[in-house]
Amino acid sequence: MSRRIAACLVAVGLVAGASAPLSAYLQLSVTVRGSVTPVKWTSVPVRWFSSTASAPGVTSAQFQSALAAAFDTWEAVPTASIAFQFAGFTSATPSEDNDGRSVMGFEDHGDLDRTLAATGFTIDTITGAIVESDVFFNTAFAWSTTGASTAFDLQSVATHEIGHFIGLGHSALGETEMQAAGGRRVIAAASVMFPIAFGRGNALGRMLQPDDVAGASASYPDGDFDRDTGSVQGRVRLGSRGLFGAHVSAFDRRTGALVGGFALNEAGDFVIDGLAPGTYVIRVEPLDDASTDSFFDDPGLDTNFRATFYDRVVAVPAGGAGPSFDVTVTAK
Amino acid sequence: MISVQRTGAMGAVLVLVFMSRLAQATVEVPVEFGELVRGSQLVVHGRVIEARSQQTGDRRSIETVVTLSVTEALKGQPGSEVTFRMPGGEVGRYRRVMVGVPRFAAGDEVVVFLRGSAPALPTVFGLSQGLFRVAHTPDGRAVVAPAPLAVPAFGAERVVRGDPARRPLAIEAFVRDVRAHVDTRP
Repeated sequence: MSRRIAACLVAVGLVAGASAPLSAYLQLSVTVRGSVTPVKWTSVPVRWFSSTASAPGVTSAQFQSALAAAFDTWEAVPTASIAFQFAGFTSATPSEDNDGRSVMGFEDHGDLDRTLAATGFTIDTITGAIVESDVFFNTAFAWSTTGASTAFDLQSVATHEIGHFIGLGHSALGETEMQAAGGRRVIAAASVMFPIAFGRGNALGRMLQPDDVAGASASYPDGDFDRDTGSVQGRVRLGSRGLFGAHVSAFDRRTGALVGGFALNEAGDFVIDGLAPGTYVIRVEPLDDASTDSFFDDPGLDTNFRATFYDRVVAVPAGGAGPSFDVTVTAK
Repeated sequence: MISVQRTGAMGAVLVLVFMSRLAQATVEVPVEFGELVRGSQLVVHGRVIEARSQQTGDRRSIETVVTLSVTEALKGQPGSEVTFRMPGGEVGRYRRVMVGVPRFAAGDEVVVFLRGSAPALPTVFGLSQGLFRVAHTPDGRAVVAPAPLAVPAFGAERVVRGDPARRPLAIEAFVRDVRAHVDTRP
């Protein structure tokens, strides 16, 4: 199996391994004994512990409260069945990889001084089961639970990390600008799973967007989700070949909701599930503005093509998908 | 079902309007290229010869130690090989994966921006931000793709995905850019 195929799926650091078309949003998966296994909790509620560590301006109790609110946000998605249970405070740290406890907590990671927070998984490679998942929040940064303009909003960043915790990778639904004075500024994000955070004092990341809801619901469908929503599916081509890694977004013409996905195999196949029935505008674009390693574990992603709109609107029926269609892009 | 309605410019406008309504604030976490150069002790173009997982010194976690055969040092004075560490890896029956951390495999050709002081092994600056993969075009040219984003001369410039002006960058030009920043005072 080539490394490209092994990595085509899903995001960041995880080894994947199928050539079949796969659903959208990046859903994390690993290859265990040659089989692709989604990184997904199979038993709910998922128990989590809160570290007793504090940070300047945030007590351990405030930390736990902010995390609980972020967990509640995902649990409140009406079309997803994921649920969580606070299991108590612990002196254990998120860096203890194999203690069987999923720990959320502050840690000093001065060597990772551009990483606000990160989620790690320990996977049993015999069974494919998640042993634990831990999230650290880096005390190299200032944190706030009250919206202080000089600190990052803990609940917003926690909401992003809990998206990873339930198995979602990064979303590319965001826009940025480069500034002459230095730095890169986020000017729009249509998913809390966009990998670049908003700035200090901004708490908008506490609210899930349609892309996040679709991702959580597709991973943990509940109620009538499968019956009430539909899919788009197709293939991205550059000349005669499929284009792995192309970003595909579906824009609901009635509601303005955006849901993103990726072409996730060598054939360029993509599927975006969890769409409200309606008509959609489809856009395909390269991840040529990002570190592709933040999305895919693939060293050879082709990002040298032009953004392209599919020249028809696509109707999404409830409970199914319309016919597959091709979007042909051109090289720059 | 695929509708027979045709779209086009209207679709584009709708998307852009939607996105612009979400316009928000500043973030300081992304690393600008000059800062990436200045903040790294070593910048090295090379090829991965080994990526080996091990338990960390305190045995609480798993890390991967990556050894690179140095093709060219762009900043610093390494030997013929450079070793750095990344979080995660696989030891025994357990695999530790940290979301957002790049994976390396033997044979990968990369430019890495490394920071950290002895005795600890360095790590990649900004995790995936300090990693640029080198690819080879069909005609044999070595290129960095995606290329680093350019900083505008003044004001702010929206980053447009698929911008035809932004193409894979020849490794020679990338090296020149790095060296220009090495020579520039912060």
